[in-house]
Amino acid sequence: MLAEGIAAISGQRKDTVSSPTLLQILWRERSVRIGAGIVFLVLLAALSAPLVALALGHGPTDQFQETALDEMGLPVGPSAAFPLGADGNGRDVLVRTLYGAQVSLLVGIPATTIAMLIGTLVGTVSGFFAGRIDRVVSQGIDVALSFPFVVTALSLLSLNRGGTGQPIIPPLLVVILVISLFSWTYFARLTRGLVLQLRTSPMVEASVTIGASKTRIIRLDILPNILPTVLVYWAVQLPANIVAEATLSFLGVGIQAPLPSWGNMIAEAQRTSLYQDQPWFLAGPGLALFLTVVGFNTLSSGLRTVLDPHQRSA
Amino acid sequence: MRVFSVSDLKVRFGRVEAVRGITFDVDAGRTLAIVGESGSGKSAGLLAATGLLPTSASVQGSVLHRGQEILGASPKTLRKIRGAEIGFVFQDPLSNLHPLKTIGEQIGEAMSAHRRIDRSERRERVLALLDDVGIDDPVARLKHYPRHLSGGMRQRVMIAMAIALDPHLIIADEPTTALDVTVQASILDLLKRLQEKHGTALIFVSHDLAVVSDIADDVVVMQNGLVVEKAPAGRIYDSPKHAYTRQLLGAARLAGPRAYAKPAGAEPRSPLLHVRSLGRSFETSRPVLKDVSFVVGKGEILGLVGESGSGKSTIGRIIAGLDRPDAGTVTLRGEEYAKPGTAGLKADIRRAIQVIFQDPYASLNPRRTVEAILADPFIIAGERDRAKIADRVRQLVSDVELPEDILGRLPSQLSGGQRQRIAIARSIALRPSLIVADEAVSALDITTQAKIVALLGDLRDRLGISFLFISHDLGVVGELCDRVAVLEKGHIVETGPTRRIFEHPEHDYTKRLLAAVPGRKRQPADRSQKAVSYAG
Repeated sequence: MLAEGIAAISGQRKDTVSSPTLLQILWRERSVRIGAGIVFLVLLAALSAPLVALALGHGPTDQFQETALDEMGLPVGPSAAFPLGADGNGRDVLVRTLYGAQVSLLVGIPATTIAMLIGTLVGTVSGFFAGRIDRVVSQGIDVALSFPFVVTALSLLSLNRGGTGQPIIPPLLVVILVISLFSWTYFARLTRGLVLQLRTSPMVEASVTIGASKTRIIRLDILPNILPTVLVYWAVQLPANIVAEATLSFLGVGIQAPLPSWGNMIAEAQRTSLYQDQPWFLAGPGLALFLTVVGFNTLSSGLRTVLDPHQRSA
Repeated sequence: MRVFSVSDLKVRFGRVEAVRGITFDVDAGRTLAIVGESGSGKSAGLLAATGLLPTSASVQGSVLHRGQEILGASPKTLRKIRGAEIGFVFQDPLSNLHPLKTIGEQIGEAMSAHRRIDRSERRERVLALLDDVGIDDPVARLKHYPRHLSGGMRQRVMIAMAIALDPHLIIADEPTTALDVTVQASILDLLKRLQEKHGTALIFVSHDLAVVSDIADDVVVMQNGLVVEKAPAGRIYDSPKHAYTRQLLGAARLAGPRAYAKPAGAEPRSPLLHVRSLGRSFETSRPVLKDVSFVVGKGEILGLVGESGSGKSTIGRIIAGLDRPDAGTVTLRGEEYAKPGTAGLKADIRRAIQVIFQDPYASLNPRRTVEAILADPFIIAGERDRAKIADRVRQLVSDVELPEDILGRLPSQLSGGQRQRIAIARSIALRPSLIVADEAVSALDITTQAKIVALLGDLRDRLGISFLFISHDLGVVGELCDRVAVLEKGHIVETGPTRRIFEHPEHDYTKRLLAAVPGRKRQPADRSQKAVSYAG
């Protein structure tokens, strides 16, 4: 066909021109540049939190009743001492927002990674062995998907209370597990589809005819070829999981006060209505959450365009 | 009258010069064939001339359509000309037809996009067009979707759309390449008939001089973005001037094989593989295979020919253990290994039967180097000594006539021919007794194809490997195979020595297949004088 003709023409002589590295190709994509820039800012913010705290002399949970609250007990707005103002307890909003970035990544990255590992394992087994195993696993995935996230997460998290009301397991760990419990299914479905397609490809059949074992085929033919798609999907799923953490913290079952998380900061601003006097109380964590999600989404859609053109429309 | 004239056209994609100054023209009622291998710039040149290239390509030169310069014309002008005055037919009708619109809607749309036309008149015209392109029962077909039609029918619909507005020029880019030979012949006849009826000019792009010979008045031969020879068809075929034209002609099979495989010798070969009354059906359709039986001798190349859907590949897959039969058995050296209910092969049978797939792009793992791919069979067979493996991999590469420096490359850094050589090297690694080659040369350019065919014949001679050579291309089969089995709708209608089948076919279907082979017009007078033997 004509389009293939052009591809053949431009593809054929590619070797004579020095071929650019993967990083150069990625960097040419505008959304990769923008997304990577924002993500870099978020990482920088998370890493710089202790430094900023040190420079300002404000710890994330330190309360400054004298300087941060006015005579009415209302939080002060932005100033040199408190760049984004203070919250209702006289704590520094900027420092807390930066620490919030740490919490978001600390929950989001491990949760997404665990989900990816479980999902890829289940999806590969289901897709490769097809037949009865596949039917059972697919049913399992459908069941797992039918649980409503917020309700189930709320009940699971409230079970984590000892007799004295203190959590039995650190809530951070529980939040990570609950989120990965809900997002592995997306990875499993994706992997299953990819593997199902590859399983009957000439590449795999060629390996079968030279006598390769199933594990060898999975290890050498299947996993390396689905990995780029799965990794791109990791970047797609990460911002969703960061929002999930914020949701749980907002509802009061995620990260517990006084530890700062964007979710519980937004909840506190909303509950006390103090954002009407000190808008940065709400805008700080809100904008940070927004920026993080936009950054990761832009980056992942750029990566998808470059690495995985077939999935673009999906 | 001069309809379309291209002079000194140049096309660049970034730093790559795809077309480096080509000149040709075509008159009303004439057919100009543009011939060249993939990457020669033939498609890029035509796309550029009709303003269909993306703006990232830079185009220079002059293109006159009925005396009017259209290179650099506004998109609006170009849109008016395309479709209304120039009709297009592409290789793959399925991807060029809208899957969710009926045939009637699509042809009608081609008309109303350019002219105001009322409903009943449009319907009349669509029906006349469908009738014109040889589609039976046009009234019923109006409501059909592309998926209901066969490949040949879809191409007829594309042609109907191309001629809907009585264009002065039709550009057909490899319109028959994806079709079976018998269908190809009928589409070529159709194009010729329509052209005579309407006096349209036709530009026919193809990689195959044999196909072109049935239709062209003039031929332009392109290589690396340049026109290397331009002459009336008679001169091209009878006294080609340029070395590349001669090379293409040498590779083209005008009316069948250029030479038959050297006679297999009178003595019967000892049988290696027995296929006995094989049957296979899939859930929804009629049986794919019915009572298929044949024998492959030791060191023999058996050709299996038939049109798409005849069940050729299914036979190959059952023999290679990738599918299992519903009835019948397959026996290798007296050991019955495939019968209904069996799954998987024992290790020794597995090693004895290897496969070469059609598409060397899909059958090699894109993330592993050639070296890793070729070491695989040895590692799987239990070889642990690295130095020994490296030695044998190097031996394999030289067996398939590739340089050693190819070992470190990835499949994406190889040409189609090189990839297929790697696939062949992998298949002979464990010295199998039988190789199933399923359309192994069909995806390759015609000159590459000839070299791979020669290599397969050579491997048989040196290593004594038997081949089941599955192909729809009768020319290749005639040159390579000792015997041929003809498959029609899952049933073997005729088996015999290649020469007997080609020269004295007994079954009607075989006769029809042979009659459809392109290049009848320019059949060489005495084939045996052409001293090309690929098996020798």
